[in-house]
Amino acid sequence: MEVLLKPEICTIQEVIQETPDVKTFRLKFKDDSIMDKFTWNPGQFVEFSIIGSGECTFCIASSSTRKGTFDCSIKKAGLITADIHNLLDVGSEIGIRGPYGNWFPFEEIKGQNLLYIGGGIGLAPLRSLIQYTLDNRKDYKDITILYGARTSADMVYKKEIEEWKKMEDVNVILTIDKQEDLWFDNVGVVPKILEEKVHPDLSCTKVITCGPPIMIKYTLMSLDKMGFAPKDVITTLEMRMQCGLGKCGRCNIGSTYVCKDGPVFTYEQMKKLPDEF
Amino acid sequence: MNYSKQIQDIAVRLFTENKIDVFVGYRKNVGDDNQTPFIFKNPALCDKLVFTEKSTHNLTNYLTNETTKSKKVGLVVKGCDSRSLNLLLTEGQVKRDNLYIIGVSCDGCVDEKNEKEARCIACVMQSPVIYNEMLGIEKEKKTYTIDADLLKLKHMSLTERADFFTEMFSNCIRCNACRQSCPLCYCDKCVIDQDSSLYHNGANTTSNAGMALMTWYLHLAGRCVDCRNCERACPQNLPLHLLHKQNEMVIYENFQNHQAGMYEKDRGAFYKYNLSDPDDFIM
Amino acid sequence: MAFSIFHISNDELHKLYEDIIKNNETYAPVEHSGDYKFKKVNSLKECNTDAPIKTTASVKPLFFPQTSAIMHYSEDAKGIKIDDPKEDVLTHKKVILGVKHCDARGMQVLDSVAKWDWQDEDWIKRRENTVIFSTLCVTPENTCFCTSLDYDVKTTDAYDVLVVNDGQKKLLKVCTEKGEQFLEPYTGVLTKLNGEGDAKLKAEFTKFKNAFHLKMDYKEVNAKLQGAFENDGWDFESARCVSCSACAFVCPTCHCFKISDEKVRDKGVRYKSYDSCNQKYFTLMAGGHNPRTQKYRRWRQRGMHKFVYYKERFGVNLCVGCGRCTVKCPVNISIFEVVNNVANNI
Repeated sequence: MEVLLKPEICTIQEVIQETPDVKTFRLKFKDDSIMDKFTWNPGQFVEFSIIGSGECTFCIASSSTRKGTFDCSIKKAGLITADIHNLLDVGSEIGIRGPYGNWFPFEEIKGQNLLYIGGGIGLAPLRSLIQYTLDNRKDYKDITILYGARTSADMVYKKEIEEWKKMEDVNVILTIDKQEDLWFDNVGVVPKILEEKVHPDLSCTKVITCGPPIMIKYTLMSLDKMGFAPKDVITTLEMRMQCGLGKCGRCNIGSTYVCKDGPVFTYEQMKKLPDEF
Repeated sequence: MNYSKQIQDIAVRLFTENKIDVFVGYRKNVGDDNQTPFIFKNPALCDKLVFTEKSTHNLTNYLTNETTKSKKVGLVVKGCDSRSLNLLLTEGQVKRDNLYIIGVSCDGCVDEKNEKEARCIACVMQSPVIYNEMLGIEKEKKTYTIDADLLKLKHMSLTERADFFTEMFSNCIRCNACRQSCPLCYCDKCVIDQDSSLYHNGANTTSNAGMALMTWYLHLAGRCVDCRNCERACPQNLPLHLLHKQNEMVIYENFQNHQAGMYEKDRGAFYKYNLSDPDDFIM
Repeated sequence: MAFSIFHISNDELHKLYEDIIKNNETYAPVEHSGDYKFKKVNSLKECNTDAPIKTTASVKPLFFPQTSAIMHYSEDAKGIKIDDPKEDVLTHKKVILGVKHCDARGMQVLDSVAKWDWQDEDWIKRRENTVIFSTLCVTPENTCFCTSLDYDVKTTDAYDVLVVNDGQKKLLKVCTEKGEQFLEPYTGVLTKLNGEGDAKLKAEFTKFKNAFHLKMDYKEVNAKLQGAFENDGWDFESARCVSCSACAFVCPTCHCFKISDEKVRDKGVRYKSYDSCNQKYFTLMAGGHNPRTQKYRRWRQRGMHKFVYYKERFGVNLCVGCGRCTVKCPVNISIFEVVNNVANNI
């Protein structure tokens, strides 16, 4: 038996329907002693097993500063995620292996302004760092959260975003692609709003971004235009990971393993990788 | 049997006259006297082409490959290969106008030990059934025969046959070499690999291997031309031809002596019907 | 530490093997429809240990099998229950005879990835509990090129005991502590050689190395391949590949695997089984995006991983030059030829 790949059982405490195709599952290990010892850094991921269907990689979408449970936000995209959406509910048991991967450099970015740029479900991995930095607020300077989605219905964490908006020391900029009734925030794609509405101090700002590939592509171009150095732009990569431990070879790009050397990379590191995205 | 020079000359001519973008033929292996398929676009490489009794691969497999899709292709085929080509044309996988077919009237191929292959000894169609240009003298179609190991299989009891095939399936390692080498297996995503199939990402267990091989066997019924690309490809030396030849025998006996791909516009055994087809099993 | 070199007569060697088989779980190459596979043997007659044989699938399945169960589970109203682990037969103490040294070297190369950070305990235990007897090849096949790569057959400790021809006798070179301890009970039939042992070995190794058809300058090829990512040679060389996985499955060092669940009603098994980067949908992601749809990208990954990336990561070349991929490829693609052609196509 392959000890390394055996998951631990978790129970689903809560299911939140974020958008028509995204659910957040609040999880807790069945064995309390495991839950007490389970700790992770923002940006790490777990291998989530719906036992009988398969296993998928999901980032932990909450911070370990909020103890007792952890969140995974899952978009319905394929066979296993369809089963996750259709078959799981509060009380269901699933398997978790982890945490794996590297994490956002939350120590190194202390004392800096933070500019979070998220698109769609891409806000999920960022949320673990957002929560961490908000829970350690005095360690960081200005915090700006720029978040965009196709429509207002496609925005995740709607309630939490409202809480962030109410915070005095957090600047929240929301945008959707096309105007809707009762929408009073910005309209336009994320890179456009970034260039128009955000005026960062380049000398002490770090950008942390995640979103669909097309958004990332144009956002990186805008950040380049604005004068950001590639080492100051941090992202988390989606690449088909399977074992999460650097053994199965699936996430291998060049001599890098996304599950071990990532999934968090700076733009500078990403530029050095072979073009296999 | 040596048509190397003729094929080289034809290939040069086709490139010069701009009739083809890419040529698919054979060349010698580096290091031993086996041959390997040779696909190239540069006319300067034509002198590497060969054709001898070692040119045993069925090259029509490459017509559904990304390398040659939608391009004008010059291709070398033997008798058996041209039959699979007929089926590929009828099934709409390749356009006739895109092909320049050099058909070789074949004297039979030899295996790695330089012995004539069993399928060539029993070959029914040595001459190409479709071509732009033929090399060699046209030979007559021969009668279909059932060879010794197929006869042995035919006379096995159901339990013996089940044991025989279970043993074969247990040695399969699901490398997919057979399916990928088969010219008539051209689905972009095999049904076995579909997301909704249990056998997608299935482990290499005997039952999964059996399911995969039997699915392939049924999909190939009435379409297999006995080129043996599959059996040559199999790293475990499974006797895959017995799976398909069994089907061929059943179809020959029950569907008016039908053999796959013998004439242009052949639609295989199961894509048409005749009023005289057996129907005594229909209630 | 210098280990011993012994002389043994052919008869005594056969008796030694018989004794090993009698007292240990022993595997050796056994004939199976024209090819050889490593199987458990109960007597020397069942197998062939005289000349080194290129088995179909290398010795890898004895350490990393085709399919293995990660866990068995069942589900009921109370929830999911993961069963207690079943016995892992492969961790039994065992001896493998007649292993080609390229295979043994392949297992050693895979130790790097197994011991990297997360320890693959199953692999480690299987390796620890196995004694490998390797036989030095006399006539390399025309697909072999092991001596061109970055390891020395003379000094490697990939196997525990190396058996080398010496006229009418055999030389037994001990290569590890484990081998030394294993041969302890047999010292009665072994004649220890001193300086002359080294001289004889050197002569046999030189003869072996000179007998190769395929030779390449590994350092030069590795250096040239570093910058070969955009090289259009990959496209030309990979045109005839049919994207199966035969090469990866018979290779002693390919180690990619897939994890799959198979559940029937309330019981199920999670399996780990071989997979390969050649497959078109290896890098397919849930949204439908696939970075390696084109064949040349997949072949490039294979070639680069074998000759560049793994070395960059772990300090050893992944390919061990056994040539099995060439023998078993449906269209006879030679990785030696491809990699050299790409390196020289600048």
